[in-house]
Amino acid sequence: MRCVGAWTVDHVAGLEARLDDVGWPADTEVVVEGSTVRAMDTAGAWVLHQILQTLERGGRRVSLRGLRAEHEALLRMVGSPGVGDVLATAAARPSFLERIGASAWAGARQTVEMLSFVGEVAVVGVRSVLRPGRIRWKPVLYNVRTAGVDALPITGLLCFLMGIVIAYQGATQLRRYGANIFVADLVGLAMLRELSPLLTAIIVAGRSGSAYTAQIGTMKVTEEVDALRTVGIVPIELLVLPKIVALGIALPLLSVYADVLGVAGGMVMAKRELAVGFPDFLDRLQYALRLSDFLVGIGKAPVFAAIIAVVGCFQGFQVAGDAESVGRRTTVSVVQSIFLVIVADALFSVVFDTLGI
Amino acid sequence: MPGPIVEVRDLHTRFGDTIVHDGVGLEVREGEIFALAGASGCGKSTLLREMIALQQPVAGSIRVLGREVVGLGDEEALPLRRHWGVLFERGGLFGSLTVRENVGLPLREHTELGDRLIDEIAAVKIALAGLPPDAGSKYPSELSGGMRKRAALARAIALDPRLLFLDEPTAGLDPLSAEGFDELVRRLKELLGLTIFMVTHDLDLLWGVADRVAFMVDGRIAGVGPMQELSKSEQPLVREYFYGPRGRGAWEQAWKRK
Repeated sequence: MRCVGAWTVDHVAGLEARLDDVGWPADTEVVVEGSTVRAMDTAGAWVLHQILQTLERGGRRVSLRGLRAEHEALLRMVGSPGVGDVLATAAARPSFLERIGASAWAGARQTVEMLSFVGEVAVVGVRSVLRPGRIRWKPVLYNVRTAGVDALPITGLLCFLMGIVIAYQGATQLRRYGANIFVADLVGLAMLRELSPLLTAIIVAGRSGSAYTAQIGTMKVTEEVDALRTVGIVPIELLVLPKIVALGIALPLLSVYADVLGVAGGMVMAKRELAVGFPDFLDRLQYALRLSDFLVGIGKAPVFAAIIAVVGCFQGFQVAGDAESVGRRTTVSVVQSIFLVIVADALFSVVFDTLGI
Repeated sequence: MPGPIVEVRDLHTRFGDTIVHDGVGLEVREGEIFALAGASGCGKSTLLREMIALQQPVAGSIRVLGREVVGLGDEEALPLRRHWGVLFERGGLFGSLTVRENVGLPLREHTELGDRLIDEIAAVKIALAGLPPDAGSKYPSELSGGMRKRAALARAIALDPRLLFLDEPTAGLDPLSAEGFDELVRRLKELLGLTIFMVTHDLDLLWGVADRVAFMVDGRIAGVGPMQELSKSEQPLVREYFYGPRGRGAWEQAWKRK
C-alpha cells in the first residue's frame, strides 16, 4: 500500500469519505509505503493511524516504511493512549427521560433556592430595620432615580396611549346605548384598579429588573460579590435591600403618575369620539371612583415592586461562570418577574372580589 | 536559511497622544521560538494584536507569512488567519461551547471534515495539550485557570498552523503549571514544526524555552538575541530587568538545568 501526497487537514476530507468503501487487501502482511508522503499534519496522521488500525484489526501484520521521522513522531503521538481516553469520555448524550428529570430537578432546586434567598433577604432586612444606621440611603436614592424618575417618560407615554385605546374601544359600544358619559367609569376603573399598576410593573420589570440581574450577575463573574464579602459587607445589604426599598418607593409613585396620564388619555379620546367634555368627564369620574379603587391599584404596586426586585436580584446571584450565563439569567429574570406579577395580580383580583372591595 | 516568517519594519502606533511604538523593527525566523519581553504596558500585546491584524498601527509594515498585514481587512486576512493560531491572555474560549466544541470550531469552519473526524482530531489536540481525558466534555467555566490555558492552546493548534502566537501564556499560572507549559510549548514546536511568537514576562520561559528574545523599552526594541547574549547587554533597563532579584533566580535555575 502506498501513501501519496499531502496528508493535511485540507486534503484528508475526501480520503475520509472514501475510506469506508475501500476493499482492503486480503493478504496477511501489508507493507505501507510512506516515502511518498509529501506533508502530514495531525489530521493526516490520525487518518493514517486509523487505516493502520483497521488493517491490524483484520488480522494482518502491518509494517510501515519510509515515513519521515517527524511524520512518524506525529503518528506515534496520535496513537498515544491519552487520545483514546479523551475519545472514550465523549459521553453519550443524555436520554430524553434523563433530560426531563434534570430540568425538573433544576426547577425544583431553583424554587428552594429562591425561597431561601427570600428568607435571607428578610433576615438582612429585619436586621437593617433594627439598626437603621446601617441602611444605605445613597444607593436607595440612586435606584429611585434610575428605576423611577428615568422611567417617567416611557411609563407616561404608554399609559396615556392605553387610556386612549380603552376609551376608543369603549366608545363604539357606549355610543350604541347612548351611555357616552360612562366612558369615565370605564377608563377610570380600568386604569386605576388594573392597568396602571400592571403596565408600570411590566415596564419596570423590563427596564430595571433586567438591569439588576445583569449588574449583579456581572459583579459575580468578575468576583466583585466575593470581594464585597471579604471586606465585610453583606452583598444583600448593599445590592439587594436598596433596590427593594427603592422600587417600593418608586413603583407606587409611578403608578399614581400612570393613573393620571391614563385618565388623561381617556379624556382626550372621550372628547373627540363621544363629545364628552373635560369638565363632564371629571365630574363623572368623581362619582364613578371610590377611594378604595385608587388604593387597590396603588396597594398592589409595592407587592409588584418586591417581586421584581427580588426576582431580578435572585437571578443575578444565580449567574455562574461566564458572560452567556448573564444573558440567560437576564432573560429568565424578566420573564419570571412579569409572570409572577401577573399571577399576583390575578390573586389580588380574587382576594378583592371575596372581600368585596 | 529561510526568510523571516514575521517581519516588522519601522512600526509606529499611537493611542491619542500616547506613543506606544516608536519605530519597532524585528524578525522572526521560521521554526524558532521568539519571545518579546518588556515592562508591563510597554506595548507588547499591542504589537501582537497588530501582527494578527486585530489592530492597525499608524505607520510601518508588518509582513506575516510573506504577506503585508497592515491595512488588511477581515475578509482579506481570512486565508492568513487559517495559518496561524492565537492563544489570548485570558484564553478567549467560548463559554457556551464545551472544550471539545471549542477545539473543533476552527475545523468545522475551515475544513470539510466529517463530524466524527473533527471530534477525533479535537480529541488528539486535547490530549496533546495535556488536558485530562474528561476535560473535553466540560465547559470553560468548569476548568481551572491552567486547564483553560491548555484548552485555549488546543484550539489555537486545531488547524495545525505554521505560526503560533502566545500572549502571556503563563500569566496567572502557578509555578508547577507554568513549568508544565514550558515543556508543552517546546514539545509542540518539535512535533508540529511550529514557529512560535510569544509575549511574556515569564523569565523561566525566556531562559528555558525561547530561542531568541527581543526586549522592548519605550516603544523600541532595545535588544534582540539569545538570552545569553541579551543578558550581557549594556542597556541599564535591560540589565535591571534581567538582573533584578527575580531575574537572577531564573537565570541561576536555567544555568543549573544546563
